[in-house]
Amino acid sequence: MASVQALQAPQHAYDDHDALVDDYHGRGWTDGLPIVAPTPEKVAHFLAVAGLHGDEILGLVPTREVTVTAEQVAINAVMAGCRPEYLPAVIAAVKAHLHEKANCHSTTGTLSGAFQMVIVNGPARGNLDIACEGACFGPGFRANATIGRALRLVIRNACRAIPGFLDRASFSTPARYSMCFGEDEEGSGPTWTPMHVERGFDATDSTVTVQSVMVVVPATDFMARTPEAVCDTLVSTIRSKGSSGDVFLGGSGEIVVVIGPEHRRFFLEAGWSKADIRANVHPRITAPDGPGRPVKFPDDEPERLLLVAAGGAGMGESWVFIPHLSRAITEPIRSVTIASAELLEDRP
Amino acid sequence: MIVGLDPTSGSLDKLPDKGTALRPKTLDGTVIAFIANGLGRGVDLMDALYAELSRDTAFAGAIKVKKNSVSIPPEPDDWERILSEATVAVTGFGG
Repeated sequence: MASVQALQAPQHAYDDHDALVDDYHGRGWTDGLPIVAPTPEKVAHFLAVAGLHGDEILGLVPTREVTVTAEQVAINAVMAGCRPEYLPAVIAAVKAHLHEKANCHSTTGTLSGAFQMVIVNGPARGNLDIACEGACFGPGFRANATIGRALRLVIRNACRAIPGFLDRASFSTPARYSMCFGEDEEGSGPTWTPMHVERGFDATDSTVTVQSVMVVVPATDFMARTPEAVCDTLVSTIRSKGSSGDVFLGGSGEIVVVIGPEHRRFFLEAGWSKADIRANVHPRITAPDGPGRPVKFPDDEPERLLLVAAGGAGMGESWVFIPHLSRAITEPIRSVTIASAELLEDRP
Repeated sequence: MIVGLDPTSGSLDKLPDKGTALRPKTLDGTVIAFIANGLGRGVDLMDALYAELSRDTAFAGAIKVKKNSVSIPPEPDDWERILSEATVAVTGFGG
Protein backbone atom coordinates (compact mmCIF):
# COMPACT_ATOMS: atom_id res chain seq x y z
CA MET A 1 0.00 0.00 0.00
CA ALA A 2 1.28 3.45 -0.87
CA SER A 3 1.95 5.58 2.16
CA VAL A 4 -0.87 7.98 2.90
CA GLN A 5 0.62 11.45 2.77
CA ALA A 6 -0.71 14.09 5.10
CA LEU A 7 -3.97 15.32 3.69
CA GLN A 8 -5.51 18.62 4.69
CA ALA A 9 -9.18 18.24 3.78
CA PRO A 10 -11.68 17.78 6.62
CA GLN A 11 -12.83 14.20 7.02
CA HIS A 12 -16.38 12.95 7.43
CA ALA A 13 -17.27 9.48 8.75
CA TYR A 14 -20.31 7.46 7.68
CA ASP A 15 -21.81 4.10 8.47
CA ASP A 16 -21.59 2.96 4.87
CA HIS A 17 -21.03 4.06 1.27
CA ASP A 18 -24.67 4.89 0.62
CA ALA A 19 -24.77 7.21 3.59
CA LEU A 20 -21.66 9.00 2.30
CA VAL A 21 -23.14 9.46 -1.17
CA ASP A 22 -26.43 10.75 0.23
CA ASP A 23 -24.64 13.22 2.49
CA TYR A 24 -22.41 14.49 -0.35
CA HIS A 25 -25.51 15.03 -2.46
CA GLY A 26 -27.16 16.80 0.45
CA ARG A 27 -24.20 19.11 0.96
CA GLY A 28 -24.28 20.12 -2.71
CA TRP A 29 -20.91 18.49 -3.47
CA THR A 30 -21.99 16.50 -6.52
CA ASP A 31 -23.35 17.12 -10.00
CA GLY A 32 -26.42 15.09 -9.12
CA LEU A 33 -24.97 11.79 -10.29
CA PRO A 34 -23.58 9.12 -7.97
CA ILE A 35 -19.95 9.52 -6.95
CA VAL A 36 -17.07 7.35 -5.89
CA ALA A 37 -16.25 7.83 -2.21
CA PRO A 38 -13.08 9.96 -1.88
CA THR A 39 -11.49 8.06 0.96
CA PRO A 40 -8.12 9.28 2.28
CA GLU A 41 -6.46 6.11 1.04
CA LYS A 42 -7.81 6.46 -2.48
CA VAL A 43 -6.97 10.17 -2.71
CA ALA A 44 -3.45 9.57 -1.43
CA HIS A 45 -3.05 6.79 -3.98
CA PHE A 46 -4.08 9.12 -6.80
CA LEU A 47 -1.58 11.74 -5.67
CA ALA A 48 1.17 9.15 -5.37
CA VAL A 49 0.56 7.75 -8.84
CA ALA A 50 0.68 11.28 -10.26
CA GLY A 51 3.78 12.14 -8.23
CA LEU A 52 2.07 15.09 -6.62
CA HIS A 53 2.02 16.59 -3.18
CA GLY A 54 -1.44 17.49 -2.03
CA ASP A 55 -0.48 21.02 -1.04
CA GLU A 56 0.79 21.93 -4.51
CA ILE A 57 -1.09 25.04 -5.62
CA LEU A 58 -2.52 24.72 -9.13
CA GLY A 59 -4.12 28.12 -9.45
CA LEU A 60 -6.27 30.84 -7.99
CA VAL A 61 -9.63 32.47 -8.52
CA PRO A 62 -8.84 35.86 -6.98
CA THR A 63 -12.36 37.27 -7.20
CA ARG A 64 -13.63 34.31 -5.18
CA GLU A 65 -10.68 34.17 -2.78
CA VAL A 66 -10.14 30.58 -3.89
CA THR A 67 -6.87 28.67 -3.99
CA VAL A 68 -7.01 25.31 -5.75
CA THR A 69 -4.65 22.57 -4.61
CA ALA A 70 -3.67 19.19 -6.01
CA GLU A 71 -5.40 17.52 -3.07
CA GLN A 72 -8.73 19.16 -3.86
CA VAL A 73 -8.39 18.12 -7.49
CA ALA A 74 -7.51 14.54 -6.55
CA ILE A 75 -10.56 14.33 -4.27
CA ASN A 76 -12.84 15.52 -7.04
CA ALA A 77 -11.17 13.23 -9.58
CA VAL A 78 -11.86 10.24 -7.34
CA MET A 79 -15.48 11.37 -6.95
CA ALA A 80 -15.80 11.70 -10.74
CA GLY A 81 -14.83 8.07 -11.24
CA CYS A 82 -11.36 8.67 -12.68
CA ARG A 83 -8.69 6.03 -12.67
CA PRO A 84 -5.52 7.18 -10.86
CA GLU A 85 -3.57 7.51 -14.08
CA TYR A 86 -6.08 10.09 -15.34
CA LEU A 87 -5.12 12.55 -12.59
CA PRO A 88 -2.25 14.26 -14.50
CA ALA A 89 -4.71 15.06 -17.32
CA VAL A 90 -7.22 16.45 -14.83
CA ILE A 91 -4.47 18.49 -13.16
CA ALA A 92 -3.46 19.94 -16.54
CA ALA A 93 -7.07 20.78 -17.34
CA VAL A 94 -7.51 22.56 -14.01
CA LYS A 95 -4.30 24.53 -14.53
CA ALA A 96 -5.46 25.54 -17.98
CA HIS A 97 -8.86 26.63 -16.71
CA LEU A 98 -7.28 28.67 -13.91
CA HIS A 99 -5.04 30.60 -16.32
CA GLU A 100 -5.87 34.29 -16.06
CA LYS A 101 -7.02 34.49 -19.67
CA ALA A 102 -9.22 31.42 -19.27
CA ASN A 103 -11.26 33.72 -17.06
CA CYS A 104 -12.72 31.24 -14.57
CA HIS A 105 -14.84 33.76 -12.70
CA SER A 106 -16.65 35.00 -15.79
CA THR A 107 -16.94 31.72 -17.68
CA THR A 108 -18.37 29.77 -14.75
CA GLY A 109 -20.61 32.51 -13.39
CA THR A 110 -22.12 33.67 -16.68
CA LEU A 111 -25.84 33.77 -17.33
CA SER A 112 -25.07 32.02 -20.64
CA GLY A 113 -24.14 28.76 -18.93
CA ALA A 114 -20.85 28.38 -20.80
CA PHE A 115 -19.12 25.02 -20.44
CA GLN A 116 -15.49 23.98 -20.42
CA MET A 117 -14.31 21.82 -23.30
CA VAL A 118 -11.22 19.64 -22.79
CA ILE A 119 -9.29 18.46 -25.85
CA VAL A 120 -6.48 15.92 -25.38
CA ASN A 121 -3.52 15.65 -27.74
CA GLY A 122 -0.46 13.44 -27.89
CA PRO A 123 0.35 9.94 -26.62
CA ALA A 124 -1.87 10.29 -23.55
CA ARG A 125 -4.86 9.68 -25.81
CA GLY A 126 -3.72 6.12 -26.34
CA ASN A 127 -2.36 5.62 -22.85
CA LEU A 128 -5.59 6.73 -21.22
CA ASP A 129 -7.91 5.35 -23.92
CA ILE A 130 -9.39 8.75 -24.80
CA ALA A 131 -12.00 8.47 -27.54
CA CYS A 132 -11.26 10.59 -30.61
CA GLU A 133 -13.45 9.03 -33.29
CA GLY A 134 -17.08 7.92 -33.44
CA ALA A 135 -19.39 9.35 -30.74
CA CYS A 136 -16.41 11.01 -29.04
CA PHE A 137 -18.49 13.93 -27.73
CA GLY A 138 -20.91 11.62 -25.97
CA PRO A 139 -21.18 8.97 -23.27
CA GLY A 140 -19.57 5.56 -23.24
CA PHE A 141 -15.88 6.32 -22.74
CA ARG A 142 -14.60 6.27 -19.20
CA ALA A 143 -11.60 8.56 -19.66
CA ASN A 144 -13.55 11.17 -21.63
CA ALA A 145 -16.47 11.06 -19.23
CA THR A 146 -14.57 11.20 -15.97
CA ILE A 147 -11.79 13.66 -16.89
CA GLY A 148 -14.38 16.17 -18.06
CA ARG A 149 -16.57 15.45 -15.05
CA ALA A 150 -13.62 15.90 -12.68
CA LEU A 151 -12.93 19.38 -14.08
CA ARG A 152 -16.58 20.30 -13.62
CA LEU A 153 -16.60 19.02 -10.02
CA VAL A 154 -13.48 21.10 -9.31
CA ILE A 155 -15.22 24.13 -10.81
CA ARG A 156 -18.20 23.44 -8.56
CA ASN A 157 -16.56 22.41 -5.32
CA ALA A 158 -13.23 24.25 -5.33
CA CYS A 159 -14.08 27.26 -7.49
CA ARG A 160 -17.53 27.68 -5.92
CA ALA A 161 -19.50 27.75 -9.18
CA ILE A 162 -22.66 26.45 -7.56
CA PRO A 163 -26.00 27.03 -9.31
CA GLY A 164 -27.89 29.82 -7.59
CA PHE A 165 -24.72 31.03 -5.88
CA LEU A 166 -21.81 32.00 -8.14
CA ASP A 167 -23.11 30.01 -11.12
CA ARG A 168 -25.84 32.30 -12.45
CA ALA A 169 -26.70 30.31 -15.59
CA SER A 170 -30.23 30.81 -16.86
CA PHE A 171 -30.39 27.32 -18.34
CA SER A 172 -26.89 25.77 -18.14
CA THR A 173 -26.17 22.86 -20.46
CA PRO A 174 -25.73 19.07 -20.31
CA ALA A 175 -22.20 19.66 -21.61
CA ARG A 176 -21.42 20.85 -18.08
CA TYR A 177 -21.61 17.26 -16.85
CA SER A 178 -18.57 16.47 -18.98
CA MET A 179 -17.02 17.50 -22.29
CA CYS A 180 -13.71 15.87 -23.13
CA PHE A 181 -12.39 14.20 -26.25
CA GLY A 182 -9.13 13.71 -28.11
CA GLU A 183 -7.90 14.87 -31.49
CA ASP A 184 -7.84 12.09 -34.08
CA GLU A 185 -4.22 12.75 -34.99
CA GLU A 186 -3.84 9.37 -36.69
CA GLY A 187 -6.95 9.90 -38.79
CA SER A 188 -5.79 13.13 -40.34
CA GLY A 189 -2.59 11.98 -42.00
CA PRO A 190 0.74 13.77 -42.26
CA THR A 191 -0.80 16.82 -43.92
CA TRP A 192 -2.41 18.04 -40.74
CA THR A 193 -0.37 19.19 -37.77
CA PRO A 194 -1.90 18.19 -34.43
CA MET A 195 -3.30 21.12 -32.50
CA HIS A 196 -0.81 20.92 -29.64
CA VAL A 197 2.10 21.02 -32.13
CA GLU A 198 0.59 24.09 -33.77
CA ARG A 199 0.55 25.60 -30.29
CA GLY A 200 4.24 25.02 -29.63
CA PHE A 201 4.51 21.54 -28.18
CA ASP A 202 6.34 18.52 -29.54
CA ALA A 203 4.35 15.75 -31.17
CA THR A 204 5.55 13.43 -28.40
CA ASP A 205 4.14 15.72 -25.70
CA SER A 206 0.72 15.10 -24.26
CA THR A 207 -1.46 18.12 -23.59
CA VAL A 208 -4.92 19.26 -22.75
CA THR A 209 -6.45 22.36 -24.27
CA VAL A 210 -9.35 23.93 -22.39
CA GLN A 211 -11.73 26.44 -23.88
CA SER A 212 -14.92 27.83 -22.36
CA VAL A 213 -17.72 27.61 -24.87
CA MET A 214 -20.91 29.63 -25.02
CA VAL A 215 -22.43 28.51 -28.34
CA VAL A 216 -22.21 25.19 -30.19
CA VAL A 217 -23.31 25.00 -33.82
CA PRO A 218 -23.16 22.00 -36.15
CA ALA A 219 -21.74 22.78 -39.59
CA THR A 220 -23.70 20.13 -41.44
CA ASP A 221 -23.26 19.83 -45.19
CA PHE A 222 -23.88 16.59 -47.06
CA MET A 223 -23.41 18.13 -50.48
CA ALA A 224 -19.95 19.70 -50.25
CA ARG A 225 -17.39 17.80 -52.30
CA THR A 226 -14.46 20.20 -52.36
CA PRO A 227 -12.36 21.90 -49.71
CA GLU A 228 -13.66 25.26 -50.85
CA ALA A 229 -17.26 24.13 -50.42
CA VAL A 230 -16.60 22.82 -46.90
CA CYS A 231 -14.93 26.14 -46.07
CA ASP A 232 -18.01 27.97 -47.36
CA THR A 233 -20.13 26.00 -44.89
CA LEU A 234 -17.72 26.68 -42.05
CA VAL A 235 -17.74 30.40 -42.84
CA SER A 236 -21.53 30.65 -42.98
CA THR A 237 -21.87 28.64 -39.78
CA ILE A 238 -19.35 30.73 -37.89
CA ARG A 239 -20.80 34.00 -39.19
CA SER A 240 -24.29 32.90 -38.16
CA LYS A 241 -23.15 33.59 -34.62
CA GLY A 242 -19.98 35.70 -34.84
CA SER A 243 -17.80 36.33 -31.80
CA SER A 244 -17.33 39.62 -29.99
CA GLY A 245 -14.03 41.22 -29.25
CA ASP A 246 -12.79 41.94 -25.76
CA VAL A 247 -9.98 44.24 -24.62
CA PHE A 248 -8.87 41.87 -21.87
CA LEU A 249 -8.49 39.03 -24.38
CA GLY A 250 -7.11 41.14 -27.22
CA GLY A 251 -10.10 40.33 -29.43
CA SER A 252 -12.31 37.28 -29.51
CA GLY A 253 -11.02 34.15 -27.86
CA GLU A 254 -10.32 31.06 -29.95
CA ILE A 255 -13.09 29.47 -32.00
CA VAL A 256 -12.71 25.70 -32.08
CA VAL A 257 -13.77 23.91 -35.25
CA VAL A 258 -13.87 20.14 -34.97
CA ILE A 259 -13.76 18.71 -38.46
CA GLY A 260 -15.33 15.32 -38.98
CA PRO A 261 -13.88 12.69 -41.33
CA GLU A 262 -16.50 13.18 -44.07
CA HIS A 263 -15.42 16.80 -44.40
CA ARG A 264 -11.79 16.18 -43.56
CA ARG A 265 -11.25 13.82 -46.47
CA PHE A 266 -11.89 16.55 -49.02
CA PHE A 267 -9.12 18.63 -47.46
CA LEU A 268 -6.74 15.69 -47.22
CA GLU A 269 -7.39 14.47 -50.77
CA ALA A 270 -6.66 17.97 -52.08
CA GLY A 271 -3.56 18.34 -49.91
CA TRP A 272 -4.95 21.17 -47.82
CA SER A 273 -3.23 21.76 -44.49
CA LYS A 274 -4.84 23.41 -41.49
CA ALA A 275 -2.99 26.59 -42.50
CA ASP A 276 -4.63 26.40 -45.93
CA ILE A 277 -8.05 26.20 -44.31
CA ARG A 278 -7.29 29.20 -42.12
CA ALA A 279 -6.06 31.16 -45.15
CA ASN A 280 -9.45 30.57 -46.75
CA VAL A 281 -11.69 30.97 -43.70
CA HIS A 282 -10.04 33.61 -41.51
CA PRO A 283 -10.40 36.62 -43.84
CA ARG A 284 -14.03 35.79 -44.51
CA ILE A 285 -15.13 35.33 -40.90
CA THR A 286 -13.35 38.50 -39.77
CA ALA A 287 -14.55 40.72 -42.64
CA PRO A 288 -16.68 43.48 -41.12
CA ASP A 289 -19.19 43.31 -43.97
CA GLY A 290 -21.09 40.28 -45.12
CA PRO A 291 -23.88 38.05 -43.90
CA GLY A 292 -24.27 37.40 -40.20
CA ARG A 293 -21.82 38.71 -37.64
CA PRO A 294 -18.03 38.90 -37.94
CA VAL A 295 -15.51 37.37 -35.59
CA LYS A 296 -13.37 39.94 -33.82
CA PHE A 297 -10.04 38.11 -34.08
CA PRO A 298 -6.96 40.29 -34.37
CA ASP A 299 -6.05 40.53 -38.07
CA ASP A 300 -2.63 38.98 -37.50
CA GLU A 301 -3.77 36.01 -35.44
CA PRO A 302 -5.50 33.51 -37.73
CA GLU A 303 -4.25 30.82 -35.37
CA ARG A 304 -7.12 31.78 -33.07
CA LEU A 305 -9.14 29.54 -35.34
CA LEU A 306 -8.35 26.18 -33.76
CA LEU A 307 -8.86 23.25 -36.10
CA VAL A 308 -9.24 19.80 -34.59
CA ALA A 309 -9.76 16.43 -36.27
CA ALA A 310 -12.25 14.18 -34.51
CA GLY A 311 -15.48 12.26 -34.94
CA GLY A 312 -16.64 9.19 -36.81
CA ALA A 313 -17.53 8.35 -40.39
CA GLY A 314 -20.91 8.75 -42.01
CA MET A 315 -22.14 12.24 -41.23
CA GLY A 316 -21.12 15.18 -43.42
CA GLU A 317 -20.58 17.34 -40.43
CA SER A 318 -18.16 19.46 -38.49
CA TRP A 319 -18.81 21.35 -35.25
CA VAL A 320 -18.18 24.97 -34.37
CA PHE A 321 -17.58 26.04 -30.77
CA ILE A 322 -17.91 29.77 -30.14
CA PRO A 323 -16.11 30.90 -26.99
CA HIS A 324 -17.32 32.69 -23.94
CA LEU A 325 -15.00 35.45 -22.70
CA SER A 326 -11.84 33.37 -22.63
CA ARG A 327 -8.72 32.26 -24.45
CA ALA A 328 -8.06 28.60 -25.13
CA ILE A 329 -5.19 27.47 -22.94
CA THR A 330 -2.97 24.44 -23.59
CA GLU A 331 -1.15 22.78 -20.70
CA PRO A 332 1.20 19.80 -20.81
CA ILE A 333 0.16 16.62 -19.07
CA ARG A 334 2.97 16.09 -16.63
CA SER A 335 4.56 12.68 -16.87
CA VAL A 336 4.02 10.34 -14.00
CA THR A 337 7.18 10.68 -11.96
CA ILE A 338 6.74 7.72 -9.65
CA ALA A 339 6.90 4.23 -11.09
CA SER A 340 3.20 3.51 -11.07
CA ALA A 341 3.19 -0.22 -11.69
CA GLU A 342 3.86 -1.09 -8.09
CA LEU A 343 1.34 1.44 -6.85
CA LEU A 344 -1.31 0.22 -9.25
CA GLU A 345 -0.92 -3.27 -7.81
CA ASP A 346 -1.94 -1.75 -4.50
CA ARG A 347 -4.90 0.12 -5.90
CA PRO A 348 -7.39 0.42 -3.06
CA MET B 1 -17.44 2.73 8.63
CA ILE B 2 -16.21 4.77 5.69
CA VAL B 3 -14.40 8.12 5.71
CA GLY B 4 -14.68 10.69 2.94
CA LEU B 5 -12.73 13.87 2.30
CA ASP B 6 -14.28 17.29 1.86
CA PRO B 7 -13.95 18.20 -1.85
CA THR B 8 -14.34 21.95 -1.43
CA SER B 9 -11.86 24.78 -1.04
CA GLY B 10 -13.48 25.72 2.25
CA SER B 11 -16.87 26.00 3.81
CA LEU B 12 -19.17 28.58 2.33
CA ASP B 13 -20.33 29.22 5.90
CA LYS B 14 -16.88 30.60 6.68
CA LEU B 15 -16.76 33.17 3.89
CA PRO B 16 -15.83 36.54 5.35
CA ASP B 17 -18.77 38.85 5.78
CA LYS B 18 -17.69 41.93 3.94
CA GLY B 19 -20.98 43.69 4.62
CA THR B 20 -22.37 46.38 2.41
CA ALA B 21 -21.37 49.98 1.86
CA LEU B 22 -23.03 52.68 3.90
CA ARG B 23 -26.21 53.98 2.32
CA PRO B 24 -26.79 57.76 2.32
CA LYS B 25 -30.13 58.84 3.78
CA THR B 26 -30.90 60.80 0.65
CA LEU B 27 -29.44 61.05 -2.83
CA ASP B 28 -30.21 64.78 -3.02
CA GLY B 29 -27.00 66.71 -3.50
CA THR B 30 -24.92 63.63 -4.26
CA VAL B 31 -22.77 62.91 -7.26
CA ILE B 32 -23.80 59.56 -8.69
CA ALA B 33 -21.56 57.38 -10.82
CA PHE B 34 -22.82 54.81 -13.31
CA ILE B 35 -20.40 52.09 -14.39
CA ALA B 36 -21.63 50.20 -17.45
CA ASN B 37 -19.92 46.90 -18.25
CA GLY B 38 -20.08 47.47 -22.01
CA LEU B 39 -22.21 44.46 -22.83
CA GLY B 40 -25.37 44.77 -24.89
CA ARG B 41 -27.34 47.89 -24.02
CA GLY B 42 -25.74 48.34 -20.63
CA VAL B 43 -25.11 52.03 -21.27
CA ASP B 44 -28.76 52.55 -22.24
CA LEU B 45 -29.80 50.78 -19.05
CA MET B 46 -27.67 53.10 -16.92
CA ASP B 47 -29.00 56.16 -18.77
CA ALA B 48 -32.56 55.01 -18.17
CA LEU B 49 -31.80 54.40 -14.51
CA TYR B 50 -30.37 57.91 -14.17
CA ALA B 51 -33.45 59.39 -15.82
CA GLU B 52 -35.71 57.47 -13.47
CA LEU B 53 -33.77 58.41 -10.34
CA SER B 54 -33.62 62.04 -11.44
CA ARG B 55 -37.40 62.32 -11.28
CA ASP B 56 -37.30 62.41 -7.49
CA THR B 57 -33.69 63.38 -6.79
CA ALA B 58 -31.74 66.58 -7.19
CA PHE B 59 -28.30 65.18 -8.00
CA ALA B 60 -25.29 67.46 -7.80
CA GLY B 61 -23.80 65.65 -10.75
CA ALA B 62 -23.38 62.37 -12.55
CA ILE B 63 -20.36 60.45 -13.79
CA LYS B 64 -20.86 57.89 -16.53
CA VAL B 65 -18.20 55.28 -17.22
CA LYS B 66 -18.24 52.50 -19.80
CA LYS B 67 -15.73 49.78 -19.14
CA ASN B 68 -13.62 48.51 -22.01
CA SER B 69 -14.29 44.91 -21.05
CA VAL B 70 -16.57 43.02 -18.73
CA SER B 71 -13.49 41.17 -17.55
CA ILE B 72 -11.43 44.06 -16.21
CA PRO B 73 -12.03 47.04 -13.90
CA PRO B 74 -12.49 50.57 -15.22
CA GLU B 75 -9.40 52.35 -16.52
CA PRO B 76 -7.26 53.96 -13.78
CA ASP B 77 -8.33 57.48 -14.76
CA ASP B 78 -11.98 56.48 -14.51
CA TRP B 79 -11.38 54.83 -11.15
CA GLU B 80 -9.71 57.98 -9.87
CA ARG B 81 -12.58 60.11 -11.04
CA ILE B 82 -15.15 57.84 -9.42
CA LEU B 83 -13.30 57.68 -6.12
CA SER B 84 -12.55 61.39 -5.91
CA GLU B 85 -15.83 62.82 -7.18
CA ALA B 86 -18.65 60.34 -6.70
CA THR B 87 -20.73 60.00 -3.54
CA VAL B 88 -22.40 56.80 -4.66
CA ALA B 89 -21.94 54.47 -7.62
CA VAL B 90 -24.13 52.01 -9.47
CA THR B 91 -22.74 49.13 -11.44
CA GLY B 92 -24.06 45.89 -12.85
CA PHE B 93 -23.11 42.60 -14.39
CA GLY B 94 -24.49 40.22 -16.94
CA GLY B 95 -25.51 40.92 -20.47
